[in-house]
Amino acid sequence: MPSTNRSRNVALVNFVVLPFLFLTVALLGGLRIGDESRTLIFVPPPLVTLLLATLLMLLFIRGGLIRLHKWISSELSPLTNIAHVWMFITIFFASAQAFNSVLPESGLLHWLFSFFFLWTLWNNQFSSFDARRLLRSLAILFGTAFVLKHMLFASLYSPDGGWLKRLAGSLMQGVALGTFDAPPFSPATGYIAFFTLVIFVAGLVLLAFGVDPVSTHTLVNEGRQLPASERVPIDDAILDNERQ
Amino acid sequence: MQSKFIQSGGLLFTIAYAAFIVWIYATEPRTFSEVTTGVEIAAGTYEINPEKFNSAFNLFRREQFRAAREEWQQADPAQRDPRTQFYIAYSFYREGWGRIYFDQGLFRQGVETVNRAIALSTGTTLVIDDPDLQMHTAAELKAELEQGLESNWGDVNPLKVFKRRK
Repeated sequence: MPSTNRSRNVALVNFVVLPFLFLTVALLGGLRIGDESRTLIFVPPPLVTLLLATLLMLLFIRGGLIRLHKWISSELSPLTNIAHVWMFITIFFASAQAFNSVLPESGLLHWLFSFFFLWTLWNNQFSSFDARRLLRSLAILFGTAFVLKHMLFASLYSPDGGWLKRLAGSLMQGVALGTFDAPPFSPATGYIAFFTLVIFVAGLVLLAFGVDPVSTHTLVNEGRQLPASERVPIDDAILDNERQ
Repeated sequence: MQSKFIQSGGLLFTIAYAAFIVWIYATEPRTFSEVTTGVEIAAGTYEINPEKFNSAFNLFRREQFRAAREEWQQADPAQRDPRTQFYIAYSFYREGWGRIYFDQGLFRQGVETVNRAIALSTGTTLVIDDPDLQMHTAAELKAELEQGLESNWGDVNPLKVFKRRK
């Protein structure tokens, strides 16, 4: 009975909760609220975010967050394969929109942010990663970009003149800030972006640690319950395997 | 068996959700009421507000055309009802009509609106059975509005002042 419940819960998380979370990120990632009109503004993902999302998907595969060979296999039923491909697509668009939510919309800062994201993701392609380290690194990457865009630069662009605007004004007297212009959005945009990123990272955490039907933890627990006579040969086999 | 059901149900639900997201980004609604109106149109349940329509109609009869248009726009926020659009175009005509000259701006907006009414009533001729109006079809109204936008020698004819508003 517990195994039936487990398989049901895993199916629920895999095929309903996770795609729903990632699609919600895809919906909210491009949502901005106008500063004065308080109207909804939907910003579709710029081309550069699709490139960034592609690099991030490669990282997910390299880091073991997405086990492509397990997700799409001739041994699985067609429906399961389709559901996994669908999940892959939702993760891709969620990634693109997560980048969209932390990228400045236009101007020089948009290209600077894009360049730094590209640089970081490209460098990461050649580093050794596991799922845990990858998630930590992504949380920091998105967190930093969020603070820069929605706290520091939002203050710089605010029409009533935030503290950073006054500081930049005194530091950069005589330097034209025209290239740094960006459309002002309501502070609600920052809250939306924050929850978008939280949902995105939570979805990735769930993907990494919550959906594997036969997790390592389960295997270890089940192994511990075996009698000593059966456990010893298994431990020896594992140790032999590690030596090889 | 149950996980198969969850799989197929989840797949259908999330595909529908994805279609909703694509629709949102394609139509770019500016307010939540626009979102709900759009959903009603997509579901085929969109209806104009009859109270607002009647209130606009009374204003139109009292020749308060701007106020009438405001009410009609609220009655049909999605601009999907050909009858309402016809009346809005008619209000542009009546307000813009003058014995000496026609207000070109209002007539232009009237043409735009009557074209919308014609586009919405594809397949059938839009006929408004209202005894207070002298033009009952969108085609008649469009022709009258377009004539008002044209400049010709007839514009300097002094007998033009005896022409009656329809």
